[in-house]
Amino acid sequence: MLWIVLLGIPLVGAFFVLSVKDSAAKTTAAVVAALEVLAFVAFLVGPKPTLDLNWISTWGIRFHLSADGLALFLLGLTAVMTLVAILASKPEYGRTYFFWILFMEFASMGLFGAVDLFLFYVFWEVVLIPVFFLLTGWSGVKGRVAALKWLIMNLFGSLFMLIGVVAVAVIYQENTGHFSFEISHLTHLAIAPAAQPWIFGCFALAFAIKAPLWPFHGWMPDAYGESPAPVTALVAGVLSKFGVFGFLRVMLPIFAPEMARYETGLLIWVAAGLVYGAFMAVRQKDMKMVTAYASLSHLSMIALGIFSLTAAGILGATFLMVAHGLMVGGLFLILGVVEEKVGHRQFSGLMGLNQGAPRLATYFMFFALAVLGLPGLPGFAGEYMIIQGLVVHEVVFAVIAGVIMVLAAWYMLRLFQGIMQGRPDAPAVADLSRGQVAWLIPVALLVVLIGVWPAGITSHAVPSLFHAVHFVAEQGGIN
Amino acid sequence: MRYLIPEVVVAGGALLALLAIVLVPKAKSLGSWIVLLALLAAGIDAATMWHVTASLFMSNTLAIDQYSILVTELVLLAGVSSLLLAWDADRFGDEFPVLLALSVLGMMALGAAANLMVIFIGIELLSLPLYILAASSRTQAGGEAALKYLLLGAFSSGILLFGMALLYGATSTLSFVAYPSITSANTWLLWPGLALVLVGISFKLAIVPFHMWVPDVYEGSPTPVTNLMAFGTKVGAAVILLRLLAFGFYTQDGSWGTLIGYLAVLTMIVGNLLALPQMSLKRLLGYSGIGHAGFLLVGIATHSVEGAEAMMFYLLPYGLAVMAVFGVLRLIEGNGDEVTVGDLKGMAYRRPWLAAVLIVGMLSFAGIPLTGGFVGKFFLLQAALFASQPGLAVGIVVGTLVGLFAYLRPLQTMFQRTEPSEKVQKVRWTVASVVVLTVAVVGTIGLGVYPEPFVHIVSHSADFYWLTGG
Repeated sequence: MLWIVLLGIPLVGAFFVLSVKDSAAKTTAAVVAALEVLAFVAFLVGPKPTLDLNWISTWGIRFHLSADGLALFLLGLTAVMTLVAILASKPEYGRTYFFWILFMEFASMGLFGAVDLFLFYVFWEVVLIPVFFLLTGWSGVKGRVAALKWLIMNLFGSLFMLIGVVAVAVIYQENTGHFSFEISHLTHLAIAPAAQPWIFGCFALAFAIKAPLWPFHGWMPDAYGESPAPVTALVAGVLSKFGVFGFLRVMLPIFAPEMARYETGLLIWVAAGLVYGAFMAVRQKDMKMVTAYASLSHLSMIALGIFSLTAAGILGATFLMVAHGLMVGGLFLILGVVEEKVGHRQFSGLMGLNQGAPRLATYFMFFALAVLGLPGLPGFAGEYMIIQGLVVHEVVFAVIAGVIMVLAAWYMLRLFQGIMQGRPDAPAVADLSRGQVAWLIPVALLVVLIGVWPAGITSHAVPSLFHAVHFVAEQGGIN
Repeated sequence: MRYLIPEVVVAGGALLALLAIVLVPKAKSLGSWIVLLALLAAGIDAATMWHVTASLFMSNTLAIDQYSILVTELVLLAGVSSLLLAWDADRFGDEFPVLLALSVLGMMALGAAANLMVIFIGIELLSLPLYILAASSRTQAGGEAALKYLLLGAFSSGILLFGMALLYGATSTLSFVAYPSITSANTWLLWPGLALVLVGISFKLAIVPFHMWVPDVYEGSPTPVTNLMAFGTKVGAAVILLRLLAFGFYTQDGSWGTLIGYLAVLTMIVGNLLALPQMSLKRLLGYSGIGHAGFLLVGIATHSVEGAEAMMFYLLPYGLAVMAVFGVLRLIEGNGDEVTVGDLKGMAYRRPWLAAVLIVGMLSFAGIPLTGGFVGKFFLLQAALFASQPGLAVGIVVGTLVGLFAYLRPLQTMFQRTEPSEKVQKVRWTVASVVVLTVAVVGTIGLGVYPEPFVHIVSHSADFYWLTGG
């Protein structure tokens, strides 16, 4: 029942928003998103039911949603970031814009909750559509190109994943004589050795493109650069988690032996992305791009934690997913405010905004420090756990991750200096308005909260996690 | 003869409408009403005989089974939608409903054909009225389209007939359901005969490389007629191809399965590729229809029950998407026949509901989840992988990706922030078109969200592989 509410509020709300006047759209959407946050809180404190309905019984497909510790806080992240993004949007975007935002929330909630592979895939692909239209209708000059790149690249991966989904189900059917798409049933598949790398690759490709992980990030610069700040915040904060979440939710159970076998290769791959993202972030002149590549680097860090196949590493990845969503989302929203005030995104000159806008500078500093991994803030806790997981038996990658954390300080402080510090005679800009502070404070408070109390998240995640890691070990993998 | 009532009702409706036109020339829409009621009555009657035991009738010339009933319902849907799309326009002429009903009758015959002669009659009955209908807008483009269609159609009919003659020579019977039991067939005549028949049907189905006529004919014909060609003709040609191969030649699948597989991949990719640069929406849909014919072939190429089911499933979401898109075109074009992608500018802001319908239709073509098109693709992929043919699966993926560009361009154009084109501003909703669009959208999303009932239906309809002989 609670699941129906969780999915129903954004879906019904989206169509309701479509029926109100443009002028009332933002308020209505905000109310819907706030209700969704309340529903999530009810979900968090109360019992956590699952929803399991027959859907397409001929193929054994079930409408099965469940929130274990891995997904629980990603649901919360989606609810909170959607609300904040709506509050940060301009009312004049109109009702269709808010419709797509809420529709995206619906698809995201469904994706994080899905434990049926078919259902997972449906939400996986549905979520592409709102972003496509948001990029097409409400973004900068190159928005249409960005939208096309987003959809084509992501669908390229998704369609191969669809082959993978069907292949897994067909193999299951041939093994057992009946159909099932339930992820927990699809473990222990006897996949022919020749087919293993291909099916594994189909899934990995889709997840790597959606995240994005290097070198599949071709859509990222345009999409992040062109979309309005709230949409960037949602794509970078929430949607980017789909890819790494997919590795956890789908690949770890189904392809545990393959994951263990390809581990070194996977680690080298994402470590390359980690280094690439960091160095790209250092040399960007566009402030959104610095954050975009920083985000790419952090997503590689999360993937590094997952591929370590240790409890600590995966726990750190789970934690960092939530933290990264809040931090990067907040940072993109602040950059949106800055862009609006100065009218461009270049920061080559020292702009000195902190002269006239101390509040803006403070919040900016806060999120920048969170992203670069200052101890006490959640970035540090997550990265620490990941490195701890890597140290156990992949020391080289632990060293690489540690070095890249230093680079993070470089690019983030460079960004801060470039925008906020500089000439005392710089032209003053208006500071954050009360309304803007009102939606920044909750994000900042949440970041502080999970920074000083990571156990709030990790204690929920540990039970699901031990199950997953135990499973890997049992499959003759590691430890 | 209980099982021929739908055909009789449609034929009777056509003749009655013809009489009405002659006897009561003042009652403009009387003919349309008669045909509409006849089509609906035939549909209801066909539905009531769903639980028929599959068997052959009339000296083994007609096979009445769930397959033929499902085909009847599909082509009646195509016919009714075309009729409704032409409802308020006088310019198509009084004879429009009569010809439409006859063409639909031909399609119905194809669904039930168990004899080469019935195939030929069905294809001719389907095509001849369409040649006239293609010119019914009485424009130069329409005349050109009709002539091109007529010439190529006659050519392909000739090839088809020649192939049938060879098959008859090889087997001494026209009843193709009896072929598997014939062991002494002259293979020197059999294979050329089958090849020529395949070519003839491929023309109708618009399989690459027999697709050249499609874009010009689609573009020149009035939109309701194009709707009938894109939906009804494709259903008729696809189901007879499946029936012929599955009933007549299932024992020799090695010889045609691979060939159909290559044609399927070629058609999916080439059709969608050629759709990319099109500016005219009808041409775009023509090429995309070629691509979709390729998807239908995948179901046949797998030569399995799953494949047959998947193809039968795919026909409905495809047809509903055709109805949605052509319904929107019909509203935009007004009294013209030509809509370009550029005409859609600003439509999302000015005509949001119309834009929403087009989005649903295009996304279903593209196979995005929550639309019927996605379940259709999923079904086909499943059939391809069950048949251990990953090449077909990759073909589906590549074809879909290429087609995506073509479908997204009109959608993006709708979201351009410019003053809407004159055509979009002048759009006037009609009751008939609202009915068509509602059915199309509700059906598309219904199939995407809860496909189980229709999956169940096609699983019965395609359960005919083991019915052989008489």
